[in-house]
Amino acid sequence: MLYQLAVPGPIDDVEELRVLEWHVAPGQSFAAGDLVVELETHKAVVEVRAARAGILRSVLAPAGDWQRLGRPLAIVGDDSDEPLPAQADDLAAMLVEFEVT
Amino acid sequence: MMTAGALLRAMQRIRAFEEALAGRPDHGFQLFSMGQEAVAVGVAAALGADDQLLTSGRSIAAALARGVDAGAIMAELLGKEAGTNRGRGGRGHLAQPAAGFFGAHAVVGGNLTIAAGVALALATRGRGIAACMFGDGACGAGALHETLNVAAVWRLPLLLVCDNNGYSISTPQAMALAPQPLAALAQPFRIPAVTVDGMDVEAVREAAVALAARIRNGEGPAFLECRSARFATHSTSTRETRAADELAADRARDPIVAQARRMQARGELDAARLAAWDEEARVAAVAALAFADAAAYPASGSVLEDVQ
Amino acid sequence: MSGSAAATRVYFREAIARALSEEMARDPALVLFGQDIGRFGGAYREFTGLFERYGAQRVRDTPVAEAAMIGVGVGAAAAGLRALVSITYMDFLMLGLDPLVNYAAKARYKTGGQLRVPLVVKATAGARGQGVAHSQCIEAWLMSVPGLVVVAPATAADAYGLLKSALRHDGPVLFVDHKRLYPTAGELPAEETLVPFGRARIARGGSDVTIAAHAYTVRVALAAAEELAREGVDCEVIDLRSLAPLDVDTLVMSVARTGALVTVEEGQATCGVGVEVAARVREARDGEPFRVARVAALPAPVSSNPVLEAACLPDAARVGAAVRALLS
Repeated sequence: MLYQLAVPGPIDDVEELRVLEWHVAPGQSFAAGDLVVELETHKAVVEVRAARAGILRSVLAPAGDWQRLGRPLAIVGDDSDEPLPAQADDLAAMLVEFEVT
Repeated sequence: MMTAGALLRAMQRIRAFEEALAGRPDHGFQLFSMGQEAVAVGVAAALGADDQLLTSGRSIAAALARGVDAGAIMAELLGKEAGTNRGRGGRGHLAQPAAGFFGAHAVVGGNLTIAAGVALALATRGRGIAACMFGDGACGAGALHETLNVAAVWRLPLLLVCDNNGYSISTPQAMALAPQPLAALAQPFRIPAVTVDGMDVEAVREAAVALAARIRNGEGPAFLECRSARFATHSTSTRETRAADELAADRARDPIVAQARRMQARGELDAARLAAWDEEARVAAVAALAFADAAAYPASGSVLEDVQ
Repeated sequence: MSGSAAATRVYFREAIARALSEEMARDPALVLFGQDIGRFGGAYREFTGLFERYGAQRVRDTPVAEAAMIGVGVGAAAAGLRALVSITYMDFLMLGLDPLVNYAAKARYKTGGQLRVPLVVKATAGARGQGVAHSQCIEAWLMSVPGLVVVAPATAADAYGLLKSALRHDGPVLFVDHKRLYPTAGELPAEETLVPFGRARIARGGSDVTIAAHAYTVRVALAAAEELAREGVDCEVIDLRSLAPLDVDTLVMSVARTGALVTVEEGQATCGVGVEVAARVREARDGEPFRVARVAALPAPVSSNPVLEAACLPDAARVGAAVRALLS
């Protein structure tokens, strides 16, 4: 099954933020608790960790791109074969844990 | 270094200038330095061409001592376009930065933080020091505390000169200021401080030169308290509140008379030369007044010039 | 969401940091003064990287002493440097008003043109839960000081462009950065674009009513305009950007079309920006009638209590109500 990895929230004052760094490359798998991506707010860094294992299938917002809260950053999946949809909006959101520092 | 005679003549020129101006009540009140000439002259004697002097509103003595043209000062005080500030500043705001007189500012204590900034700019440029004269009245203002602190922390080339005449208009110092001596204000900031007789021009000069040398040597700011006496009222429109015997005692300490007597005692001056210098000072003051009188007032249509 | 090739999307703070960095590179005489602007990088990280690049002599952490901070900046600027003084809360600007108003704003005039004071005072304004002495918008107080320029950007591009203009001006400028703008981002043009003083920006075109706002209230006004559009009311939102000088022409042209003016500000209505805007438009309209309303903070201190803070400040609902009442 495919999921979207969306910008988590709510984060105080934040409507949109910038992708700082991806820690998983497309095609790579991750385990529950792995740091997947760091996001940058106007004053803090948001560490986004996977709440379950999966494979990063496609990055929609590379480092430096902006995205609004709740909008998709990437498509992740349980396996690497499932064909990717044209867009991620209709996919269920993958559970993540996030920490604002 | 200025000779004893040069110090005396500088004070005579100031006294004569103010006496000439005192007869002219036609441009509002004035803030006279009579009695406090030795402080301005002694401090100015410690300053060079790269230095800047800032003062309180009581600034005629300091401007003249720094070498600003007497005619331009008189014109400024009478509101003429030929004045140092094109007649816009008037009493309390004389300025000629190009001559090393960064200027007066008539808010009590208001020039202290400015002087620290000027000192920072001079330090950045790499030469010159700033000196700031202020009355004892400013010693109750928070700006002095802030200035002492930032000057000490940043080791600014700043000489703070308290011209302590004992009064804030009518309020005697004992009723307004707790620290004694006022030089003690500098101690918590570990700023070297000296108290001298402000009626003794050579004592002021010596102390100012010594402190300025430390400052030039990169040792940071210094504080000089000069105990002086104001012979006139706070301003020409202020009532006198002091007792006649107190005033008489102050006048008996006249710094000009004292310096003349000292030089005569040392055999450096005779009565004829003293009289000649007096006359020279008087003639210069009359000339300054004539220059100012001949000059024009600013055109009323120029009121919006140099605002922004 | 990525920006077009011609522009970069940046946070508000990054627009400020970029303007500062570029101007410091351009003018070696520029020195910054402020509390916690060195290694710490400023309360909103708007000074990030400057200390590392330009050093402690040019990016100066100061004692907590606003009178001395502004006074030293003024003196340094008057004596040949160029200074920016950062005041963390605009409320504390009051502690430094003497050197700013009595000295800096008058120095050129009172010395007959001998002195200039190329000084920018950046004062962070606005309410965000910090209470009665850390929330105020007092820019209207300063609009009436001859010799002082007052600017208040609402976008990253204007923060960048107005700050650069301020840092090249040869007199004192009050630069108001509203703290609620720090979480926002905006596009910066690829080429260096200075924003001149005295030029408003039409943030949204419209024909039914003119809403004049500045700083964060531009966003409030735009939110209200979006809501009103759904009701068929077409709002023109003018971002004043520059309060002194004020762009009266742009306001007058807009009100000539709409016939109605609503002013919005986070400061007080009494003697506020809106009073000046309305009066200047009235004078320029030469008796031509137009309706006018003011929306501002209620006449109470701004509490840190979230319920009371929200009750005090103008929001989109209050702007909407004012517009509806004016047009009905």
